[in-house]
Amino acid sequence: MTGKNCVAIAADRRFGIQAQTIGHEFQRIYGMSDHLYIGFSGLATDVTTVSNKLKFRLNMYMLRENREMKPETFMSLVSSLLYEKRFGPYFVEPVIAGLDKNAKPFVGSLDLIGCPMITEDFVVSGTASEQLYGMCESLWEPDLEADDLFESISQALLNAVDRDCVSGWGGIVYVIEKDKVTEKILKARMD
Amino acid sequence: MFMTRSEYDRGVNTFSPEGRLFQVEYAIEAIKLGSTAIGIKTSEGIVLAVERRITSPLTEPESMEKILKIDNHIGCAMSGLIADSRTLVDTARVESQSHWFTYNETMTVESVTHTVSKLTLQFGDDDAGAGAMSRPFGVALLFAGIDEKGPQLFHLDPSGTYFECEAKAIGSGSEGAQSQLHELYHQNMNMKEALITVLTILKQVMEEKIDSNNVEVMLIANVQRGNFLH
Amino acid sequence: MAAELKKAIYPENATIGLPTQHRFDPYTLNGGTIVGVAGDNFAILAGDTRLSEGFMIHSRDTSKIYKLTEKTFLGTCGFQGDVLTLTRLLNARLTMYEFEHRKKMSSTAISQMLSTVLYYRRFFPYYTFNILAGIDTDGKGCIYSYDAVGNYEKHTYHASGTASSMLQPLLDNQVGYLNQEGVRRVPLTIDKARTLIKDVFISATERDMYTGDSLHIVTITSDGVTEDHFPLRRD
Repeated sequence: MTGKNCVAIAADRRFGIQAQTIGHEFQRIYGMSDHLYIGFSGLATDVTTVSNKLKFRLNMYMLRENREMKPETFMSLVSSLLYEKRFGPYFVEPVIAGLDKNAKPFVGSLDLIGCPMITEDFVVSGTASEQLYGMCESLWEPDLEADDLFESISQALLNAVDRDCVSGWGGIVYVIEKDKVTEKILKARMD
Repeated sequence: MFMTRSEYDRGVNTFSPEGRLFQVEYAIEAIKLGSTAIGIKTSEGIVLAVERRITSPLTEPESMEKILKIDNHIGCAMSGLIADSRTLVDTARVESQSHWFTYNETMTVESVTHTVSKLTLQFGDDDAGAGAMSRPFGVALLFAGIDEKGPQLFHLDPSGTYFECEAKAIGSGSEGAQSQLHELYHQNMNMKEALITVLTILKQVMEEKIDSNNVEVMLIANVQRGNFLH
Repeated sequence: MAAELKKAIYPENATIGLPTQHRFDPYTLNGGTIVGVAGDNFAILAGDTRLSEGFMIHSRDTSKIYKLTEKTFLGTCGFQGDVLTLTRLLNARLTMYEFEHRKKMSSTAISQMLSTVLYYRRFFPYYTFNILAGIDTDGKGCIYSYDAVGNYEKHTYHASGTASSMLQPLLDNQVGYLNQEGVRRVPLTIDKARTLIKDVFISATERDMYTGDSLHIVTITSDGVTEDHFPLRRD
């Protein structure tokens, strides 16, 4: 979700196989660099694999070029990585949130074969996506300050996952600003 | 009683030239052979009382039930051929439960009476369903209960005619009892007064000496259950 | 040679020569969304007026809100054929009840009857999703929601239909105050409820292609009923 010179990304913390919940401290959001975060919904093993591969490629890029990667560029990287497996895809739907060097917020999402989508307001992904669309569509407004952005994205996440039986079990939010990133764990109903 | 006996009093569903259905009228007469039953409505509830005719000291008086519960809020007293009432009471009970099932509300006493009345005129009809008989029912019923309109008392006779009453007597002593009711009944009776009135009248119209065995009483007060007193 | 030729002309998975199978599907999903909100002394029922089938819009002005009695309204969506049959059946049952019992049916009685009517078609259901809104015998607003086979529950707010999953969490949050700490739970007013319903429908219309065109809002109080229309996106 975008704000004024800030951007936020949030996810639930459930790890489960269909209806069975196995863990509630699953980390599906990865910090790729200072101002660049990516979250995945989907198959947990692919979440770790893809995130590692991305981290590897991003680090290589930064070492070779000796500069940060723009969020747009990172999205192309994710897209091509996913499209390489066009006919045997990773079962993940990534969401990217980041700030560019001018602190301009960026959000975008991809499907499992790497089709990218960039928006001005918010992107959602996963089993509770319909619920999230309903929440975000009403709670989001342009130029939210970091605190308001945190409140909006948290309420959107919590109320959406409460209406999805395979999401929830806690939440995590990252609010990315130019000079700091705030990580907050959300207490949620655990059923 | 009638001018002449004719062929019209045999077919159950044939009008006489004067426009009468003799079998139905005879059925109403049959009630007058039954034991007396009285019902009184008060603002607090309803009292029903019936005489038990104990023909032998060897019968168990408790087994002669002439006041039955239809639902938690409705009771029914009867006079006439008690056996005929079984299907009627059964219908009333089933309809009351079915009403609750479909509408999640208790059935009014009037609606119960109305449903039962539909059955009373189905005699002699080959196509009528189970419960219908080849002759009219030989029993009259007093439906008493408390519903959304408050205490309610309805009288139903074998012709299917029903009406609401404040106090009503049926059965062999009904004529005497009804005239007594005219004298003794007043609208601001309480339950105790109504009970005393009912028993006083029964005592007068009964041939036997009244005691705790030969009279059956039901009180339906502002609680949900009918209380049986004997 | 002949075998190879045959294989070339008729690949192994070909269905040539086999009879084409046709199957009758008795149901269609005609889309649409309804929302009900109950307050202390009022109930609001709202639904969009789009009637669609796949990528086709049949009508932009077909209300999903049906009047049952002076105090009870039904919002229903799903398969329009079943919606029409169900509402006609309910009206017939309502009239019969009135004749039989010499009184109007209460909202609670209708709520139970609707459940049994739906359950009687347990194995060939009416493909309809209903919300019943009304004023109960105590003068309080009430909302009942149903699935297609008659399971029902009393609520203070509920959303059904194609955009229900988008609207419901928002209502949880804004009407039910879920996930809000230390907030004062002010009783819902008619104006606030109506504004909220408009807002949630505007949001739903953004994302659900089966919801849109116009919003029909019925407000029921013990003093009477008011109806409003509010334009929504038409794309």
